Amino acid sequence: MLRVELITQLLRARTLIALAGLAAVPVIAGLATASHAGHRDGNQGGLFGAATYSALNHTMASLDFTAPLLLPLAVALLASAVGSADRAWGTLRYLYVQPVTRSRLLTGKLAAVLVITAAATGCVLAAGFFTGLALFGWHAFHVIGASSLPEADAVGRCLAAAGYILLCMLGIGAIALALGLLLPHGAEALGASLALVIAGSILSAHQHNLAAILPMYYWQDWATLFEPAGTAHLGAGIAAQAATITAAVGVSVLVLLRRDPAA
Amino acid sequence: MSTYRERRVMHPPIVNDPAVPLIAAGGLSKRYGRSQAVTGLSLAVHGGEVCALLGPNGAGKTSTMRMLAGLSRPDEGSVHLLGEPVRLGAPVLRRAGVLIDGPAFVPHLTGLRNLRLLWSATGRDWPPPALDDALDLAGLGDAVNRRVRGYSMGMKQRLMLAQALMRAPAVLILDEPANGLDPAEVRALRQRLRALASEGAAVLVSSHQLAEVQQLATHAVIMNRGTLVTAGPLDRLLGGARSLEEAFLAMTEGDDEHAAR
Repeated sequence: MLRVELITQLLRARTLIALAGLAAVPVIAGLATASHAGHRDGNQGGLFGAATYSALNHTMASLDFTAPLLLPLAVALLASAVGSADRAWGTLRYLYVQPVTRSRLLTGKLAAVLVITAAATGCVLAAGFFTGLALFGWHAFHVIGASSLPEADAVGRCLAAAGYILLCMLGIGAIALALGLLLPHGAEALGASLALVIAGSILSAHQHNLAAILPMYYWQDWATLFEPAGTAHLGAGIAAQAATITAAVGVSVLVLLRRDPAA
Repeated sequence: MSTYRERRVMHPPIVNDPAVPLIAAGGLSKRYGRSQAVTGLSLAVHGGEVCALLGPNGAGKTSTMRMLAGLSRPDEGSVHLLGEPVRLGAPVLRRAGVLIDGPAFVPHLTGLRNLRLLWSATGRDWPPPALDDALDLAGLGDAVNRRVRGYSMGMKQRLMLAQALMRAPAVLILDEPANGLDPAEVRALRQRLRALASEGAAVLVSSHQLAEVQQLATHAVIMNRGTLVTAGPLDRLLGGARSLEEAFLAMTEGDDEHAAR
């Protein structure tokens, strides 16, 4: 079933456009800042300010730019389609009479969300890395206001950051999948998923009282991995994403097991 | 659709006991919200029979077919295909060809890719045993390699029929299979369904095209308002009527008048 989901979703024009759009962001940002190669990008601080020093710097700056909104919007778009497209096309009933069991269908959808989320995150990382390599070269990871990170240490932190973001995106992907299965139409699932991402991001950005219970609140915690005096506090974020994924998958299981496909 | 050419596909034996109906429903009832779709319906279709499921709109035909295909859980009663109980995703459905609620495909994939996708969804190796015959009946030619998005309604219907037939089914459950087909295509479909029945398959077809049904079916089940009106061999149901249409209208209109009183 994973192959069915991937063929139906990855070959869609909107999927390819979404992935290409994600990959375009690091390329455009790299080209726009290419004249600052090897120097601080203006007066900007943090990962953005150091983006022009090396391939890894540009990769992490790309992730920092896309992770709060663009990347989760793309993941929500794709994951909600995994949940709802076969019902919208009417192919769900023909899958059931092949016969595909509910558990096989759900396993395929979960695996597809995992692959598509990894593909979306990978697009940003790969485009950021190769654009950075071409424009800024392979150098030590520069940290503004501190000494550069040793190569092995930098690679390890970048991998940790990528893994953390992937987990965060799986959280929103699982929510979007559950909404795709739960709501009657794909457009409703897509709208609800996008609204959730945007509202959660706004609440988190303004440190609203409700924000701490939202998975979005923890999405930017990975950036502390690269702060001079910072220590990564990723435990709460990992726990929040794991709880989100567990709850969303639970909802997906309930919807799929209890719903009469002809109702 | 090309002219039917007789070919033989090797089937596994359908059932050993000819007395066992390949399609059997007992006491089926189904309610959607406040609407009672089917009430206490029983039917049986044996191997070699082509049974027409007839009734006016809203009679409960599609609800019945959904339950027979495992797509809808009966509130009461049971369904068996080839002697095995049916539920959503039941293994016995591998030997059933189903067309229900019209054709449905992934629009941005080609016709052939859609067939492959459905067949491979359960992990089976491509191609299915009767693919050539099914594509021959569909008669789509090179269009089978075009995206379904550009297909006409008739082309989609023929591709969906190919999907139902490509597995060399022992049981066929077809909801309005002749929708969108031209007369030559209807004739080719009729010949193929008869051939399948003569090989031992059980065919259940719902249709409003009574003249066509009269040429195809050996048996009929007539429903109205979710209940069984009558069932049996077509010859017996016709009785002294000049046509199936006349007999059908006499039975269902009489039933409606009775219900109205």
